[in-house]
Amino acid sequence: MENNTKDRELLITRMLNAPIDLVWEAWTKPEHIAKWWGPNGFTNTITTMDLKPGGEWNLVMHGPDGTDYDNQSIFKEIVLHKKIVYQHVSAPYFTSTIEFEAQGEQTHLKWHMVFESQEQFIEVVKNFKADEGLKQNIEKLNQYLVGMIV
Amino acid sequence: MIRRDVFQAIADPTRRQIINMVADQPLNVNAIADSFDVSRQAISLHIKILVECELLKINKQGRERYCEAKLDQLSEVSSWIDQYRQHWESKLDNLETYLYQLKKERKHGK
Repeated sequence: MENNTKDRELLITRMLNAPIDLVWEAWTKPEHIAKWWGPNGFTNTITTMDLKPGGEWNLVMHGPDGTDYDNQSIFKEIVLHKKIVYQHVSAPYFTSTIEFEAQGEQTHLKWHMVFESQEQFIEVVKNFKADEGLKQNIEKLNQYLVGMIV
Repeated sequence: MIRRDVFQAIADPTRRQIINMVADQPLNVNAIADSFDVSRQAISLHIKILVECELLKINKQGRERYCEAKLDQLSEVSSWIDQYRQHWESKLDNLETYLYQLKKERKHGK
């Protein structure tokens, strides 16, 4: 087995301005996660979210153009207020580890995605470039506008 | 029309290994072929694809053919990886916005 995942992983971190119990709730309750998951302009339907090791997590992202994107995952590890590991079992195949760390009234989040193989990762990045680049820019603009209104 | 771009070039493990080998210093084609178990023809084909994808340059020195890496193309890959990263960052942006709303609601609710 290859232990070095450097060429097929993504790591993003963020300090969230909310206490751990709120962040955990927003992450683990279907009614909450449906509100923020996916790119801007998408809505989500969570069909299953069985938050326990081996539990299924199925969600459908509805794109702005009416396209539905099925996402199927299996939870691997759940440690209350600390850690969620899930395996994405529909394409693209990857394992996500989300670590939460309470820091007073804030929460530090570490999100680590490891793809099954570098081929898989390259494939995802390659397919992503076609139209998502543009969408992302629109999103960034949206985010910026939201910031201006608040 | 066969795709010939940097993604095609690095989509194969043998080709990635060849790129790694010549990244430090130019190597002659035979030396590259000798370090793989597959046939010389197979390695020649990989090298041909890498040349077509413009990640390798062949320099002739007498009867020897040397492969030299042209790695600036690889930045194209990393810029797409950055875009993909942005996609995930934007999820966290959404989460942040949502947490902000939740906090406001709870404050008014209680």
